[in-house]
Amino acid sequence: MKLLFFAHLRQIVGQDAVEISVLEPVTGDALWDLLAARFPALSPYKSSVRLAKNCEYATAKTHFSNDDEVALIPPVSGG
Amino acid sequence: MDISVIISPESLDDFERSPETTAIGQGGAVLTFRGVVRANEEGRPIQALDYQAYLPMAEKEIRRLAEELGRQFPCLAVSVRHRIGLVPVGDTAIIVQVVTAHRAEAFGFVSAFMDRLKAEVPIWKVRAVPAR
Repeated sequence: MKLLFFAHLRQIVGQDAVEISVLEPVTGDALWDLLAARFPALSPYKSSVRLAKNCEYATAKTHFSNDDEVALIPPVSGG
Repeated sequence: MDISVIISPESLDDFERSPETTAIGQGGAVLTFRGVVRANEEGRPIQALDYQAYLPMAEKEIRRLAEELGRQFPCLAVSVRHRIGLVPVGDTAIIVQVVTAHRAEAFGFVSAFMDRLKAEVPIWKVRAVPAR
């Protein structure tokens, strides 16, 4: 799946986007475990960052698979 | 309801009215809100704000919000323009324009829309450029 980063998360990760693959669809919590293993500095942001799948906010029931575009959405500040 | 959304680095300061919506003239109220970059950000003087967006999702969320709020505050047309990239102090960062039958829906829509946009639409002020 393609993971997209925005705002300060780009500086933390050092890139705008990364590709990861999963063996089977994963929950948001499982995805965060994968992210934390690869980018430990992201872990403190888990509670404030929302996940979006294919341009829609994910819910607790959402599963993420390799075909998905997944965005990490930190608190927004438009307008 | 006619919904138009544009998110781009283009200046919004030549914007006069919603372009070619057939709703103009049908409604009794046309309300335009402009959000303008302030000279201070968190108490410090600045010269510009740098905006970033997750474009496809931001456009989709704005449309979703407009449709949802349009059920509460019926609108004939909604036009939203958001500028991204560097926006100098005094320039317009966002324009929300609605055409409604009466003024109450227009004020209600724009107020609620801005509250929701600031909480839900993936657009960020990523940097404040300090004043020289």
